[in-house]
Amino acid sequence: MPPNHLEKTGRLEFTLNGQPVSLADVPGEASLLEVLRGRLGLLGSKEGCGVGECGACTVLLEGRAVNSCLTAAWQAAGKRVITIEGLAQGEVLHPLQEAFVQTGAVQCGFCTPGMILAACDLLSKNLRPSDQEIETALAGNLCRCTGYHDILRAVKRAARWIREERP
Amino acid sequence: MSRFVAAASLDEALAALASGEAKVLAGGTDLMVQLRRARLAGDELPAELVDVNAVPELTRLELEGSEPYLGAGLTFHNLGSAPQVQAKYPLLAQAAATVGSVQVRHTATIGGNVANASPAADGLSALVALNAVAHIASGQGRRQCPLTELITAPNETTLAPDELILGFVLDPLPGSWGQAFYKVGRRQAVSVARLNLAVCLERELKDPRVVLGSCFPTPRRLGDVEELLSGGQPGEELWRKAGAQAASHFTGVCGWRESAVYKVPAIAKGTARALADAWSVLEDQL
Ligand code: FES
Ligand code: FES
Repeated sequence: MPPNHLEKTGRLEFTLNGQPVSLADVPGEASLLEVLRGRLGLLGSKEGCGVGECGACTVLLEGRAVNSCLTAAWQAAGKRVITIEGLAQGEVLHPLQEAFVQTGAVQCGFCTPGMILAACDLLSKNLRPSDQEIETALAGNLCRCTGYHDILRAVKRAARWIREERP
Repeated sequence: MSRFVAAASLDEALAALASGEAKVLAGGTDLMVQLRRARLAGDELPAELVDVNAVPELTRLELEGSEPYLGAGLTFHNLGSAPQVQAKYPLLAQAAATVGSVQVRHTATIGGNVANASPAADGLSALVALNAVAHIASGQGRRQCPLTELITAPNETTLAPDELILGFVLDPLPGSWGQAFYKVGRRQAVSVARLNLAVCLERELKDPRVVLGSCFPTPRRLGDVEELLSGGQPGEELWRKAGAQAASHFTGVCGWRESAVYKVPAIAKGTARALADAWSVLEDQL
């Protein structure tokens, strides 16, 4: 679709977790994070810093991890956005979610959605990541609680499950 | 409230910028932070945000030939992972791979990095070492400007509000050059560089390039260090001397500030190390 279709309707349209959304009156300066939380009521994406330092707001835009606080909502026009709410299949958690739960990689949970989506991006390209590759992929995500060790274990565990096609 | 304009072509982008009231939105990683600050402070917002991500000219990458070209809209992820860049300008690929985090690299662009002229921008030092010349367009016409003249002060450039950086022409480093990039930051990712170095050497040590970034208001080539290296006897001794010279260049320009306590030894050692790294690349080719 031509990018300027949005000027014709004035509505911001994109695909959110597989469902089309259409919003009126979204100002140009609004961040994707603000729209997800404030307009669409999806509170899974967190605002830790608002300036690209903590990764708590990470979502997948066209399959790639981005900081939604640094992304203008309109940059998502016509694109696919996945948030933490879109990972589970009904009652079945995504392998990363399951692995985070089972490994104790979640304490307060504030960083978890961002961690999981950043990890999701990594595993979509690399199902046998080394420790260093995981560290690089998650370097933009801060966790105040876990000390990261269990997060690394959870990512590796999820990678193994996905390789073995287990939930 | 800013109006959002998604430019589908260069003409559309330039037409939208012509008013002088619009801001270019590339990756958004700097602009969104600026907008956030303005909103919190109750300052006026730009009338329009011109999203240039769909402008085809901005993502051109053509490194062959006598005028290697890098589109301004390429992201650091693009630059860090493109085999062409890794092969021809490993220094730039390395610098790109250290910018921000995965999330930031996915969206932040090299053109945005230049237009914002952050003194700590990692991409700039590499471009300066490669003698990058920016190609700039506006509704009025086109111009070219070496990067070192484009960036005049921290966060300041000679770009007019209606101008857009299209891309950069780089030095087609002839034959085989050794290149290295070195960075000191506070955190592996995200950290804004405290110090970065970009080095290019060829075997005869003719026209060596040593760029120190994040230490000065704008990234600069260290002329005195380059002179010391020119025609010298390659080896640890020379790298060490060059390191000492780089450190004294820094204190000469910036004086002995608090940060000098760690920066001076870091510059001396970092320079020596970057030179040794660049040289070892050359030795591996022998
Ligand atoms: S809230 Fe977006 S990176 Fe911290
Ligand atoms: S679990 Fe609390 S910040 Fe990570």
